[in-house]
Amino acid sequence: MKLIESTKIKEKAYIEKLENGLTVIIIPKENTEKKYVIWGTHFGSIDNRFIEPKNKQEVFVPDGVAHFLEHKMFEQENGRNSLDVLMSLGVDANAYTTNNHTAYLFATTNNFYEALDELMDYVQHPYFTDENVEKEKGIIGQEIGMYDDDPGWQLYMNALDCMYKENAVKIDIAGTVESISKIDKDVLYKCYNTFYNPSNMVLVVCGNFKPEEILQEIKNRIVEKANQGEIQRIYPQSEKGLNKKYKESSMQVSKPIFLIGFKDENLEGKKVKRHIAIEILMNMLVGKSSELYKKMYKEGLLLSPMDMDYEFTDNYAHVMLTGQSKDPQKVKQELLEQIQNLKENMNEEYLNRMKKKVYGDYVVEYNDVSDIARMFLSDYFKGINSFDYIEEYNTVTSEYIKQILNELFDEKKLVMSVIKSK
Amino acid sequence: MDKKGEKTMKNKTIELKKGIKFHKIETNKFKTNLFAIFFSLPLTRQTVTKNALLAAVLRRGTANMKTQEEISKNLEEMYGSSFDCGIEKTGDINTIKFYLESINDEFLPEKEELLKKSLDILLDIAFNPLIENGEFKEEYVEQEKENLKQIIEGKIDNKGAYALERCIEEMYKDKAYGLYKYGYIEDLSKITPKDLYNYYKQAINECKIDIFASGILPQNTENIVKENENIIKLQERNIQIKDEEKQIPEKENVVQESMDITQGKLVIGLDVTSNIENLSYITMCYNTILGGGANSKMFQNVREKASLAYTVGSNFLKRKQNIMIRAGIEIENYEKALEIIKEQLKDMEEGNFTEEDIENAKNLIIATIENIPEEQDTEISYYLGQELAGTNISVEEYKEKIQNVTKEQIVEVAKSVKMNTVYFLKN
Repeated sequence: MKLIESTKIKEKAYIEKLENGLTVIIIPKENTEKKYVIWGTHFGSIDNRFIEPKNKQEVFVPDGVAHFLEHKMFEQENGRNSLDVLMSLGVDANAYTTNNHTAYLFATTNNFYEALDELMDYVQHPYFTDENVEKEKGIIGQEIGMYDDDPGWQLYMNALDCMYKENAVKIDIAGTVESISKIDKDVLYKCYNTFYNPSNMVLVVCGNFKPEEILQEIKNRIVEKANQGEIQRIYPQSEKGLNKKYKESSMQVSKPIFLIGFKDENLEGKKVKRHIAIEILMNMLVGKSSELYKKMYKEGLLLSPMDMDYEFTDNYAHVMLTGQSKDPQKVKQELLEQIQNLKENMNEEYLNRMKKKVYGDYVVEYNDVSDIARMFLSDYFKGINSFDYIEEYNTVTSEYIKQILNELFDEKKLVMSVIKSK
Repeated sequence: MDKKGEKTMKNKTIELKKGIKFHKIETNKFKTNLFAIFFSLPLTRQTVTKNALLAAVLRRGTANMKTQEEISKNLEEMYGSSFDCGIEKTGDINTIKFYLESINDEFLPEKEELLKKSLDILLDIAFNPLIENGEFKEEYVEQEKENLKQIIEGKIDNKGAYALERCIEEMYKDKAYGLYKYGYIEDLSKITPKDLYNYYKQAINECKIDIFASGILPQNTENIVKENENIIKLQERNIQIKDEEKQIPEKENVVQESMDITQGKLVIGLDVTSNIENLSYITMCYNTILGGGANSKMFQNVREKASLAYTVGSNFLKRKQNIMIRAGIEIENYEKALEIIKEQLKDMEEGNFTEEDIENAKNLIIATIENIPEEQDTEISYYLGQELAGTNISVEEYKEKIQNVTKEQIVEVAKSVKMNTVYFLKN
């Protein structure tokens, strides 16, 4: 097993690639009773076009299929539902689908190995029938309805629509009622057999484990499958430029919510370093002690600091700043002004304070076994070792930060999405 | 060796003065230390808006750090320590909460004394506000009134939470527990900086005060608190808050409201009317079988069998002995969903659930109990809850009480359950 380590925060992780291609990451935590396991496949809503390994044929699948598959994985041939089985063990079990991966997980203080039996069994044994696939359409239809009423989600989808013309990231993860109506058991099996191969999957455990022991326990539960190697996925060419600058909708919200996005077209190079620099910059521009927040708060234009996020994979990357304000345009104007000010005068003291803050934010991620495991999983699919955020933080110089500021925080890369009140 | 027992031994509570307690929770599970201060007061229409406004004004500035920006700068300098404050209602108790989380000194790149700094800042915010001309700074009060107004108006933004809030309001019309924790716009406009400061002085002398520290804590932590001049200034107090008597309606109240939404939100409030011993523990089991998780009757019948909902479940408001059932459904499926839910309640009364269902429910509850020490804020909330309820039940005893619940007891509780209000938010 390969050992990676962070001496600053006194944590270790062990990584092993099994013969069948499965990657296992073990993060031992001695002082905690809670154990967490998450098993993810590199298959998300953007993977809608690929070459089927079995017959080398190109396949297009309906929008929302990765998410649909996630729902259906719990159904077992013996008539039981694995989520029920896990819950009855007193285990907090769940699953989720993102743009680029799907994950099955549970957290527990008891019955860990019984639960691991169930988890590893159901993920390796799909059971789809015409009947159980049809039934799920009603439930997912309600889930889609819930998101339709969620202003925050609509805001986010509209922002993606501004930034991208073709990129599959703009497809709603759950699909639409129309697109999921086309899903049948054959499509599900096709996707399962392609993407749920061990070589496309990562299993992360975090808790009070002896690495060798837990690795053996995992191996004992693996069903033999041939390593089918890398999957050929077909994505639209990475597009330059924006789709549109602005999009708005009206919903029943007490006052407008808005999202200001910056599309990052530089998908090469050192991701962690870039991410840290962007975190520092976002904090400097719109954080709690920023000039922007102070001014906007005083004028009653922002009640709380904007949420800031940098989302990225190999196929897309963007900054998203989200807030609620009676005058989103004014907030945008102020932001542009602050960006200009920062470009002209980078206050080193301020920058160093934000570096400290961002360091603290990374350390806090290590408080909880669930956060740790989820972080390692999603970083893995981006080709990142999570400890690098702690270890590389000192290599982020003010020159580098200035470079990113000039490159990314540019009006030409800015989009805005607004949900107005009805 | 019982490691868990050893850990709970390390928790201690010190009465600093009558009505003011310091609770120390020693744990090495986290990278952070978490500090919290709670002011507990009676929940009344006259004070609920003032309490919400107080929480907002206090975080704006202290005698030592006059602006929010200055507070933020100090916190950022401390490796991004985070401060938060808020307002809560627990039964008829209104609590103003202050939290500060900072990295434990062990995990910093350089040596610093964050623990003392953190406690000092938190105590400063809660007890040493910025005062100008014998009142709160007018600018801050006026801005916070405007902000709070927007928060109150924002109640409609989250439809699920709104429907739940509305159902509770209907159940507790003209009662303390029906009050909205952020208060009322019409009361807000009347509050002046002077009023608010006078109210603060009175509240701070009368409220119950609980201070918590959780993390890898040195021996002298309690001395840092005890010797803080803000604490030295405080007087003894004697506060007891009793919940009002509940009114159980003869027949359920049906309320329907409209909003521009695609998915309907159904909320059903139930009263548990039994007086059986250990009622709360039994009701927890009842609630979990009814709507606690993927195994529950609600989830199985409303979602899995009838395919009517994505979210469905119930939760238990312990202090009020209410169960709140919630479901997000297609609007035209209202009657159907209501009928299935009523069938489940009847099933519970008739004892149509198995020993396995009970076992599953107990496992789920015990898992939640075992998780308490695994999250710092959850552990603090647990001990605060004990403190406010005047009980002192350890995590181990709590588990034992759940283990001892029997089917007969659950059926007895089920028979005492009455529908209070059916609330439906539609388009």
